[in-house]
Amino acid sequence: MSIKTPSVPDTPEVERETIEDRLYTVKYSDSGESHLDVKVEGICEEKCTNYECVNACPADVWRAEEGGVPTIAYENCLECGTCRFACPHGNVEWEYPENGNGVSYKFG
Amino acid sequence: MSETPNYDNMYDAIVVGAGLAGSTAALTMARDGLDVIMIERGPSPGTKNVFGGVLYTPRIRELTDFEDAPKERYVAKKTYSMLSEEGDETSMSIAPSTWREEPHNDSWMVLRRDFDEWFAEQAVDAGATLITETTVTDLIEDNGEIVGVETDRPDGELRAPVVVLAEGANSLVSEAADLKDRDDRDNVAVSVKEVRKYDREKIEDRFHLDGDAGLAAHYFGDGACGDAVGGGFLYTNKRTVSIGVVYSIEDAARTDQTPDEVLEEFKQHPAVAPLVRGGRMVEYSAHAIPEGGPDSMPELVHDGAVIVGDAAGLVLNSGIHLEGTNMAVESGYHAGRAVADALAQGRTDAAALASYETDLRDSYVVENLDHYGWFMDTAAEEKEFLFDDLPRALGEAGDAYFKMDNTPKDEHVSEAKSRILDATGGWLGAAKKAWKFRKMLS
Repeated sequence: MSIKTPSVPDTPEVERETIEDRLYTVKYSDSGESHLDVKVEGICEEKCTNYECVNACPADVWRAEEGGVPTIAYENCLECGTCRFACPHGNVEWEYPENGNGVSYKFG
Repeated sequence: MSETPNYDNMYDAIVVGAGLAGSTAALTMARDGLDVIMIERGPSPGTKNVFGGVLYTPRIRELTDFEDAPKERYVAKKTYSMLSEEGDETSMSIAPSTWREEPHNDSWMVLRRDFDEWFAEQAVDAGATLITETTVTDLIEDNGEIVGVETDRPDGELRAPVVVLAEGANSLVSEAADLKDRDDRDNVAVSVKEVRKYDREKIEDRFHLDGDAGLAAHYFGDGACGDAVGGGFLYTNKRTVSIGVVYSIEDAARTDQTPDEVLEEFKQHPAVAPLVRGGRMVEYSAHAIPEGGPDSMPELVHDGAVIVGDAAGLVLNSGIHLEGTNMAVESGYHAGRAVADALAQGRTDAAALASYETDLRDSYVVENLDHYGWFMDTAAEEKEFLFDDLPRALGEAGDAYFKMDNTPKDEHVSEAKSRILDATGGWLGAAKKAWKFRKMLS
């Protein structure tokens, strides 16, 4: 988006929630090990400059590192699968957390 | 972690996933006297599921005592709004009187955690077995025929003549077994949603609702989902409001604004902010949505297996119609019947299961996908016009048309017209665009 919606007079202030605020509302049970990985580390280092996994992830799981493999905060994962589709190199290794661990929605 | 008892070949069919498609298939087969086991990876059905918010129920109502189902509000009113990023809103509101009468056009806001759990229970009541906290990790094949599943339980192999793959949009099992390709990212959308809690009275006052009546609001344009092909939505539940955005993963990957940031922008829009202010966010969620239409539908029938619901890409986005829950249920229903018929002949090969695909093709599901299949590609081609120029032009035209000054109205009318024509590229451009999008309303 090029410009942000300007505030218009008489528009109420709506609280801006941060990603931390958002993830705080989610119930998880930690499987203890990452269900996400990269398939080949070299692909991230050599071919990837724009971190499309980081842009597309709605849960701040994928975090850009200087010129290398992104770090993966798998504990935040909402299990949407977006990163798997987003990576143009097909380099996301994706499994479901074992035994139903991971996210557990109360509303859905 | 308990040992899995040896269920091998105790069941006629294994259903992977107890969402809407899986539970419908299980219910249909169990009612037909088959022994069915549903394998759900969440702690209970629904805990891994997310949707925008409307359940379409014609088939569910036929199959269940739907009055007992946990529902929120019926759709009494739909609105469609174009939002520009400058803050313009141009809306249309639809509230036919018949929607207020039962069965309320079979359109209900529900919460998936409550609903999916109840719906899976209907299959269990009909005789199906449900196991939870168990993930299917692969299919077992024997001579090219699918004969069971691997799970992440100890000794977790489970064999049965037929497997119904209802594993959802992120369909790892079907892909691993080469039953489908991974969708291209321009055919899959990412959706993020928050559920906000308010007093029930506040919701009814704010949205002019009464009793169980509810609002389904859809938003398009740059003001809704940034520089992307997609939109925003808002659905009213009894005590909560669901608000979110859905847009192409292609766009999400290319722009450096993350989906949660796009949702925050949407909430700040002057058309939306008054509707969501206050309250408390009680849940944030995300999900992928297959929006590739008929061209990205995988082969639905295999030797020993069928694919249903989101895993089969059964989601309709025509710009006006946003459906998926009905298609999931319909596919589960036809799949369940086809499996029962095939097993009655003692067969499980693709040819014996083919009536699933035939019935689905003859149903509204594939008819609609075929009819509106052009929309997503055309929307992507016309992104600049549809999401940027048009919402702004409509805002400016509204401003010009109703302008209060000391000039006569015909000047206002011609100014309004020229705002629209500038956006469409003149009369010829307008005619071309109208032609291009003619099937949206037919």
